[in-house]
Amino acid sequence: MADAPAGTIYDVGYQRYEGVRLGRRHAIWALYVHSLRGVFGIGRSWSSKVGPMGLAVIALVPAIFQLGVAAVTPTELSVIRPEEYYNLIEVVLAIFCAVVAPELVGRDQRTNTLSLYFSRALRRQDYALAKFGALVTGMLAITVIPQAIMFLGNGLAANDFGDYLKDNWTDLPSILGSAALLSGLIAGIGLIIAAQMPRRAYSTVGILAAFLLTSIIAASVFETADQNVGRFVLLLSPFHIVRGFTLWFFDATPDPGTQIGEANFHGIAYAIDAVLVTLLMLALLFRRYEKISP
Amino acid sequence: MTSWRPPVYNWWGAARFGPHAQPQDTERIPRLTLIRTVGLTKRYGRVTALDALDLELERGIIGLVGANGAGKSTLIKLLLGLLEPTSGVGEVMGRDVFSQGPELRQFVGYMPEHDCLPTDVSATEFVAHMAQVSGLPPAAARERTAETLRHVGLFEERYREIGGYSTGMKQRVKLAQALVHDPQLMLLDEPTNGLDPEGRDEMLRLIRRIGSEFGIAMILSSHLLSEIERVCDHLVEIEDGRLVRSVPMTVLTAPTRVLTVEVDSDGDRLADRLRERGVAVSSSGRFLLLQQEDDALLDLIRDSVADLGLGLVRLEQGRRRLEELFQPQASLGEEEDSRG
Repeated sequence: MADAPAGTIYDVGYQRYEGVRLGRRHAIWALYVHSLRGVFGIGRSWSSKVGPMGLAVIALVPAIFQLGVAAVTPTELSVIRPEEYYNLIEVVLAIFCAVVAPELVGRDQRTNTLSLYFSRALRRQDYALAKFGALVTGMLAITVIPQAIMFLGNGLAANDFGDYLKDNWTDLPSILGSAALLSGLIAGIGLIIAAQMPRRAYSTVGILAAFLLTSIIAASVFETADQNVGRFVLLLSPFHIVRGFTLWFFDATPDPGTQIGEANFHGIAYAIDAVLVTLLMLALLFRRYEKISP
Repeated sequence: MTSWRPPVYNWWGAARFGPHAQPQDTERIPRLTLIRTVGLTKRYGRVTALDALDLELERGIIGLVGANGAGKSTLIKLLLGLLEPTSGVGEVMGRDVFSQGPELRQFVGYMPEHDCLPTDVSATEFVAHMAQVSGLPPAAARERTAETLRHVGLFEERYREIGGYSTGMKQRVKLAQALVHDPQLMLLDEPTNGLDPEGRDEMLRLIRRIGSEFGIAMILSSHLLSEIERVCDHLVEIEDGRLVRSVPMTVLTAPTRVLTVEVDSDGDRLADRLRERGVAVSSSGRFLLLQQEDDALLDLIRDSVADLGLGLVRLEQGRRRLEELFQPQASLGEEEDSRG
């Protein structure tokens, strides 16, 4: 057999498949798992892994720094508070999304693989949902893990881990809730841009602009326009929204000098805003795949 | 060939076949129509790609022919539920393609005309993933992927990235992903596109084998009539989005009354001898074309060749060729008996 020329068709007899067929839910799950592996470049070449893995490691740096400080100082010293963590890594999160989202959805459009997916046991919305779920899970990994490391590290550095857990356990739902909201928001915005612009270079720039430029523009408008109007512009900037609901989740008050402090919205307004924007992005994503011609 | 049984679905769309299926009296199940369309129409703005198509087809290897832009790919995409029809009804294996798409597509394989493969994954990884997205459990998907890649001749190359494959190998991966979940129906859109003659030959052999030996019904779209003639047992012709004919291939390629004779030398002498005996003879290059009235002509040819001391190289009953039928002046009044 080893001497046979490449491309030889071996006559081994065809076996019909008589087992179970698991249907649409399994198809969605399979696409979700495959896409999640793709988020971190698993099953692909090394070059596909470098970007997302590298950014995931960078997102861990503040947590590791905090751990180091907690380990060497004799007292409980919290250099980075949990509600501040996303402020520190928000640009990393935006770049992660800008690197991953175009690969996640743009690639299938560029290579026309979409027609193969749509001719399987899936509906078009299922495809969008699986991709959204995969990116949200990927984003959750790089937001929850650093926060969890900080929480555990601070606990282990404390005099009594049990006491630390008793005093700070409310941080855990706050970590999960804020990370989920943040991941949904960033994934939704990133995916709709990537789905509209299949070419990787364009969508990467578009996603970065959507996060970074909106933040700069919203901050400028807030500073220059009438504050009654300008404060609402902050609700259009993803980074401001994240800062707002993170403070609310951790029951922290914004510093009076910051824009979030001056805008004076109740924290829940940012959380509701994040949910609405995420749902809007998801609806637009569904619509995009409903209309797209494979 | 495996007996044809309809899938059994549970409440959320998973389906079972074979020994795992709910017991059924297959004798009482009527022979299902493979494809049925009623007034199926697709318009893109002012352009009508498919115009009120009424079609009923049973299982087999069905060739879909028509010029570029005739509506072949549109019909395939409508049958897959990839496009929404402007009006009309489409059913595949008794299921509505638009409302029951995901359930139905567990049993349908599709090989598109265009490039559709990611370049940075291996054939094994991609085909196994596609098997799972068609509803197969992971272990079965892996097992069938290895088997399918062996059948299409890519077993040795299965761990290489698809981006490094030749055009012929990519076509085989496309075929493998359409076959891996053991569909009941495969829709192949111009499967020999971009292949060299040898690659085309091998692809057609493989397709014929899948249809005849594996027992999988097939719709094969091509604008090359020779391919259709070689592989298919039924032909559907579409022109400007309308159905022109839907007939068994045996009708189209029925024997004619023309005998083709080739001798090793002095064909003219043989022609003269046959004309003397009242046979209508014309020549086409090295061949003599004889109008056959009855079997006595065969004896006459044998005797004449022996008398003249010639060597008989070929004696062949003529058959109609698809190419001849698609000439503008061709008329086919007798072919109206549709397969359905």
